[in-house]
Formats: sequence, C-alpha cells, structure tokens
Amino acid sequence: MSGLRSWAARRLLLGGAQTVAVVVLVFALTEALPGDAAVALAGDQPDPARIAAIREALDLDRPAYERLADWATGLLHADFGHSLTSGRPVSSYISDAFGPTLLLAGLTVALLVPVGVGLGVLAARFEGRFVDRLISSVTLGVYAVPEFAFGVLLVTVFALRLDWLPPTAVGYGTDLLGHPAALVLPVLVLLSRPVCSLSRLVRAGMIDALASPYVAQARRYGIPGARVRYAHALPNAMAPAAQQLARTVDWLLCGVIVVEALFVIPGLGTVLMNAVAERDVPVVQGLAVVFGVITVVLNLGADLITHRFAPRAEVAA
Amino acid sequence: MRGRRKGRVRGGVSWLPSGRFALGVALVCVPLVLALFGPLFAGEAGPRATSFTLGDGHWLGTDFVGRDVWRQVLFGGRPVVVVALAATTLAYLVALPVGLISALTHRTWLEEALMRPLDVLLAVPSLLMILLISSVFSPGAAGLALLVALVNIPDAARIVRAAAADVASRPAVEALRMQGESWWRIAVGHVGRSILRPLAADAGVRLTGVLYLVATAAFLGIGVAPDAADWAVMVDRNRTGLFVQPWAVVVPALLIVTLTMGCNLLFDALLSTGREVATERDVVRRGVGVRDRVKEPRR
Repeated sequence: MSGLRSWAARRLLLGGAQTVAVVVLVFALTEALPGDAAVALAGDQPDPARIAAIREALDLDRPAYERLADWATGLLHADFGHSLTSGRPVSSYISDAFGPTLLLAGLTVALLVPVGVGLGVLAARFEGRFVDRLISSVTLGVYAVPEFAFGVLLVTVFALRLDWLPPTAVGYGTDLLGHPAALVLPVLVLLSRPVCSLSRLVRAGMIDALASPYVAQARRYGIPGARVRYAHALPNAMAPAAQQLARTVDWLLCGVIVVEALFVIPGLGTVLMNAVAERDVPVVQGLAVVFGVITVVLNLGADLITHRFAPRAEVAA
Repeated sequence: MRGRRKGRVRGGVSWLPSGRFALGVALVCVPLVLALFGPLFAGEAGPRATSFTLGDGHWLGTDFVGRDVWRQVLFGGRPVVVVALAATTLAYLVALPVGLISALTHRTWLEEALMRPLDVLLAVPSLLMILLISSVFSPGAAGLALLVALVNIPDAARIVRAAAADVASRPAVEALRMQGESWWRIAVGHVGRSILRPLAADAGVRLTGVLYLVATAAFLGIGVAPDAADWAVMVDRNRTGLFVQPWAVVVPALLIVTLTMGCNLLFDALLSTGREVATERDVVRRGVGVRDRVKEPRR
C-alpha cells in the first residue's frame, strides 16, 4: 500500500499548492493593478477623498508582498478584512449569505445523484432503443444551454402561463425553506447541466460494465438481472462519475451565481455580483478565496476517494 | 455512442446520427442566420415608443427603453457569435504553441514550466476568474473575448499536448528526426498536421462551452453596455417587464437555447462520423463536453 500512500501524499501536496496558488492568484488579479490601484478602483467616482479612503483601507502605500502576507495571515484566522463600501467585516457578508447558497447547492447535489444515475442506468439498459435515444439526445442538447436562458423560459411557462410557482424569491429573504415553492424552479435550473453530464457518464460506464466478462460470468451463474446490474455493474460504472461529481462543483458555482441573480435569492452569488459592481475588492477577494478553496478541496476529496475505490484508474491531479 | 459503432460494424447505419444531424442543423440555422445576416435586414431605428408595449407597428413589442424588440433581436446575435468565435480562436492561438512545445521538447524543466501554471489556473472556476478580473477592469467586447479565451487556454493546451505527445511517440517522428529534419518541420509539418482531427473535435466542443460562457457573462453584465443589443443582455434587462411584455425576453432566450442546443447536437453528429479510431475515453470526454475536464493521464 506504500504506492497508494505516496500517491495520496503527492495529491495532498498538489492540493496544498493549488490552495496557496488560489490565494496568491486572487490577490494578484485584484490588487496588483498597473498604475494607481486606488484611482482604478474609484472608477466612476474619482474624487480625491474617495481615492484617499481606498488607499487608506487597502494600505496601498505598503509594498504588495507585505500586504499579501498580512492578508494571507488574516485568512488563516478567518479574518477577510473589511468592506470598502460599508465597512462591515467581509466574514459577516459570507456568514449572512451562506445559508441560501448552501441550501441551493445541497438540494441540487442531493437530487443530482439519484436523477443522474437513474437516467444513465435507464439509458444503458435500453441501449440503442427509443428510450436511450431520447435520453441521449435530450441530455446532449440541454447540456449546452446557459442556465439563464433555460431559467427564464421555465419562469415564463410555470410562473407566467400556468401560475403554478412564484417567478422569483423576492420577499422571502433568507428563509427559503419556509417557502419550498420558491425553490422548485431554481433547483430545477441548477440541476439541468450537471444531470446531463452525469447521466451521460453513467450511461457510458454502465454499457462498458454490462459488456464486461465478469458480468457475463455472473449471468452464467444465473444471478438475477437486477442484481447483476445494480450490485455488479453499477459500482464499476460509478468511478468516472464520482470524479465528475466533484467537477460539477465548478458548474454549481457558475450556476449558483446565475440562478441567484435570476431568482433574486440573497446568497453568496448575489453578494459577489454586488461587490463586483461596486468594485468592493475585499469582499470580492474573500468570496473568491472561499469559492476557490471549496473547489480545490472537493476535487482533492474526489480524487482521493476515486483512487481508493479504483486504484487502477489513473487519476492525474 | 457504442451502439452506433456496433451499428456501423453490422453495416446498418441507425437513423440516429443523421437524425441528430438534421435536428442540430434545424436548431442552429435560425439563430445563426439571424446573428450573421440580421443587421443587414434591420431598418432605420424608429422613434422610441413607450416601454413594454405590444402592437403599434412593433411586431414583437418594445423593450425596457421603448426600442423595437425585433430590431434588437436582429442586431443582438452578432456579438454573441463573434465574441465566441474570437475567444475560441484566441485560446487555440496560445494553446497550440504551448501544447506542441511541451509535448515535443526533451527538456523536462521547460515542459514543467509551461504546463504547471496551467494546472493552477484549472483549479479556479472559470466564471469566478472572469468575475474577479472584471471587478477591477471593465472589459469591453474584446476584453470579454480575451477573458473567455484565457480561462479556456489551460484545458485546450492539455488536449493539444496529449494529442501531440501521442503522435510524437510514433516511429514516423523518430524516422524524421534521424533523417535530420528540422524541429520546425517535424513539429508543424508532421505532428501539427496529424493532430488536426482530434483538435477539430475538441474545437467543436470548446465552441459550445465558450458560447455558454460568453452568453452567461453578458447576462451578468460583463463586457457589454447596459443597453447593448445582445440577446443575453436583452434577457437580463427586459426581465422586469416579463409579465407585461414577455416577447422581449422569450424570443432572445429561445434563440440562445436553440443556438447552444443545436451547436452541441450538430458537433456531436459531425464528430461521430469517422470516429472509428476513437477510444472510449475520447467518447466519454467528447460526449460530456469541454467544461468537465475529464483529466488526461500524465505521460
């Protein structure tokens, strides 16, 4: 098992390097501006007082590496600095908006696995027949559609024409669980892309597994078809899908930003978009680090788990 | 996908690839024609009417500032398509030399120096990266194309490198080297030409992903003017009048949906013909798309 352990150590090391890189990259992209950063950040309101305030707030008089070191040490203590516009600590922005985003992402992942795997297994079971062609074509098509266009059309049909569901979450605040009807469309939109990719991967893996010698052998032993499918073939079809699941975090993040903007949900994505519009650099940095580190950690976890279950699969970091 | 290959082996071609091809063409042609030739048919801008009204000489009503929606639709496709095409081209302009050099060089440090930074870029979600940069600069349409190209470079460079490394290990390259052919000739003349097909496959998938990213960024207000004639911007800005005048939102949204959907179906159908040599890994990668980053093993 020493090979496994050294592989895991190397993967952990890469994860650590990626985390450091994310922190440095976020800092470099937002603060190492050419010219006078304070003037650039003041943007539309370049009055001297505001420029001076920004310079003061960001400590722009000190060299960049010192600021980076300070900021990074602060991150270790969950100190993300203070907002340029309101003066509130960035961590309070994050803790206020974390709930709705976590709820959206959690619900999506919880529904994503059964729906995606179910569709994939269904398509693989009827390979080449009508059901398979229908599922394959629809998932291929929907996969490429941007969430906002899909979401707006769903709102038009279900909120405007049929009047079944509320068009936005306006007025519900962060208490989304109390209004489950307002969650249906956002979760549906968030699911659209990941479900397509997951079901296509499961279908491909399942077809492979069902054509393998061990499944043929299991059938020769007279093991019932359902058991062969779900106990023998499905676990082997899941290895590539498990990795894909972590990769969908990237999309969930993109999706969450769009969906929160579309349905006016006060989550992290909304906070990020507001901060981007106001050029509130500390808030943007804090959220970017949170999102970036979550992505790195989940990818790391997925690689470690996949490697544990299917060591023969080369999981390059 | 497997089924289709089996079908080919048996000599029968199922209706699916051609059916999917026809469906893709049918879906793509309306938005594409509108995007490319729409501006030619748009007449002079009339006087502004009241916001969100229907009728009164406006076929699809008026938008949030009282402009004719149909005229905006005619103009709104071009920026989406042009920025997406430019971003895809730009991404390859950088990815091709980087991938080729790192695949063909014998100096490990050079390969590491070229590819390692890209690994790091891969760790940052693409939309987040675009948002980060646009929080400091305010990119225009060209800036948006640059940003989208930037987030696509790491993945494209990996694909180029994987494809080129595959070709470079063949005996033909060895023979060329022993004949004393120049590096340039081997790299561009032989390896570059041999990887055209996998690259074409990747470019198709990448264009679909880039279209998605460009439209989403424009919807979030990145790289576009707030009142731009752009399908994604129209969806965003006219949302406030959805209940009064849904056409100003539904028509551009439908056009984006058919464009992206049709693109993916069309490229899938195009690529599934003449893919006998495709490995299952390619199939998985291609079938799912560019943003999944099913990682290639290190060689």
